[in-house]
Amino acid sequence: MRGTFLAAAIFIALGVIAQGFWFPADARISLEKCTLCHGKPEFRKILVDGKIRDLFATADSLKGSVHEKKTCVDCHFDVSEIPHRQRPQRVTCTHCHYKGNAEGAPQSDAYLEYFGSVHGNAIAGGNTKAPLCQDCHGNHSIHKTKDPTSAVSRGNVAETCGRCHIEIYAVYKTSIHGVAVSQGIPEAPSCTGCHGEHKIYAHKDPKSTVFATHVAAQCSTCHGSVSIMSKYGIEAEQVTTYQNSFHGVASGFGSRTVANCASCHGVHDIRPSEDPRSMVNPKNIPATCGKCHPGANPNFAVGKMHVDSHSKESGIIYYTAQFFKYLTIGTMLALIAHIFLDMYGRTRRLRGDK
Amino acid sequence: MSANDKKESKQDTLEREVESVVDEETAGLDPAEAGRIREKVRARVLEEVERERRIRTAAERRAEERRRREEKRRERLHEEGEMFERFNRNFRFQHIVMFTSVIILVITGMPIKFPEFVLSRFLVNMWGGIHNATIVHRIGAGMLIYFMVHHLFYTVFSRQGRRDFILLIPTPKDARDAVQNVRHFLGKTGEKPRFGRFSYIEKFDYWAVYWGCVIMIGSGVFLWGEEIVLKFFPKYVLDVAHEMHSDEAMLATLAIVIWHFYNVHFNPDRFPGTLMWWHGQISEHEMKEEHPLEYEEIMAKRSKQKAAEVPNP
Repeated sequence: MRGTFLAAAIFIALGVIAQGFWFPADARISLEKCTLCHGKPEFRKILVDGKIRDLFATADSLKGSVHEKKTCVDCHFDVSEIPHRQRPQRVTCTHCHYKGNAEGAPQSDAYLEYFGSVHGNAIAGGNTKAPLCQDCHGNHSIHKTKDPTSAVSRGNVAETCGRCHIEIYAVYKTSIHGVAVSQGIPEAPSCTGCHGEHKIYAHKDPKSTVFATHVAAQCSTCHGSVSIMSKYGIEAEQVTTYQNSFHGVASGFGSRTVANCASCHGVHDIRPSEDPRSMVNPKNIPATCGKCHPGANPNFAVGKMHVDSHSKESGIIYYTAQFFKYLTIGTMLALIAHIFLDMYGRTRRLRGDK
Repeated sequence: MSANDKKESKQDTLEREVESVVDEETAGLDPAEAGRIREKVRARVLEEVERERRIRTAAERRAEERRRREEKRRERLHEEGEMFERFNRNFRFQHIVMFTSVIILVITGMPIKFPEFVLSRFLVNMWGGIHNATIVHRIGAGMLIYFMVHHLFYTVFSRQGRRDFILLIPTPKDARDAVQNVRHFLGKTGEKPRFGRFSYIEKFDYWAVYWGCVIMIGSGVFLWGEEIVLKFFPKYVLDVAHEMHSDEAMLATLAIVIWHFYNVHFNPDRFPGTLMWWHGQISEHEMKEEHPLEYEEIMAKRSKQKAAEVPNP
């Protein structure tokens, strides 16, 4: 009697375990079950603050995205019964997206950079409005960065950032870089071009690519490159002339107060100097220079700003430099010749020659 | 026991010790000889004790120090002859102010011209960043401006200053001296040129400093008061001043480090340098060697004075 009961118990237990091998899909919720509710176009929730959260999602939601082959519960894995009693947790992308994953996600540790960034720190600090992965990359319609329809593609990333940074986006959109991006110029920088992608820091953070002492290097990644600048008729020597000027040298020695590119040209509102709204338009130069040099007047704009003493266009500065160059060479040659003649004479006398 | 007693007893022990040593050493000699030696030692010891007492106070010690220096000098005098004063105290002070300020200016200014040079970062961080370095540079500039003003006053109002200034004006003889000196180096002529108080080399140094000070202070003042300058002049004037300041700094530094250092430090006659900038003295030997005309002039003046001093019989 007891033996029969044990045998029956073992048989049933094995049967239950074996079910897992034979019918794996049955343990999970199928797409059809989700779309029973979420497939209705009017399925939405009105939040306490009056905003409407659209909860419509069908099999087409993932179509064309990088997650095309995934089903709902691959990401919303905390949903184990239908209908779910609680609101599902936010999706944790790092569930699959880490180096060494077996899910077929890209083998990349880029997400780690996010945690140290200003956004990751804000999330860790309890700011519920700070962005997680899906806030920039999209929820269901995630595409590769190279894909122009992606929310983080070169053309769209500014708009994506602008969803939160709306004032900056408005300023950037009309700047020379914003216009160039909207014209589809491939080298023109969008937000991420200067601020970085995942490792975005506040501009006061020394780790930031746009920290006061890093701005010049960040701008010169493009503006110092002759091959890029020559395509658009922009002078690439602006970088060297800045680096040789007192502003550039002091910035190189770690001064944070001295002018960098952005101090004069603007941060998000960079415009060509011909534009009357540009900070470096001759009309606006007294105000721009006056930020650091109180009492600046139109004389600040007389003469080239990025002056290069080696180029003939600099006029009197070039000739001054040339005069001193030949004066130094001439004087030093004469003096060094005198020294060597003196040493020659001494050697000769030591040797006993007359 | 008073302090005096203590000293007395110390002296007694010393005497006893000396006596016992002398006894030991003179044991084998005859008594008359031993007695003489003992007397000699006693006299010497007493002399030493007396000397010790004499330099007891600080003032006395200083006097003693001076006496010894004088002795040493007299010994040296035997070799080098009389010492002449080449640079007076005022002139030495000016030189010290100038080289201090120039060193400060070079070590705070050159890193700005050559920011990539390995030492530059160290030289800037030494002051605690570029901002402090620019303040130190302005302190150095203030010293150089003070030196220039001091020297102009010295040239105008001091007898020695006026005399030296006239002697520093280049003459045709300097050109002839330069040619002869080069011929001498090459072995074409056995005779060195005979220099007066200032050789053409020293005259060049003097006028190089003049030119350097005018350019550096002139352009430096423009750069210092850039905001005021820009009220009256366009920006390219400042750019020219910047270019001049940067280029003349290079020329001046090269001239000092190569030319002046060779003449006063690395030259085999002077290596590693003399203290003439500190005491201003030049020996008779050097005087005859390097400034024979000045030496002759001084000697002629002296003999004339002596002749005038001889009283009428």
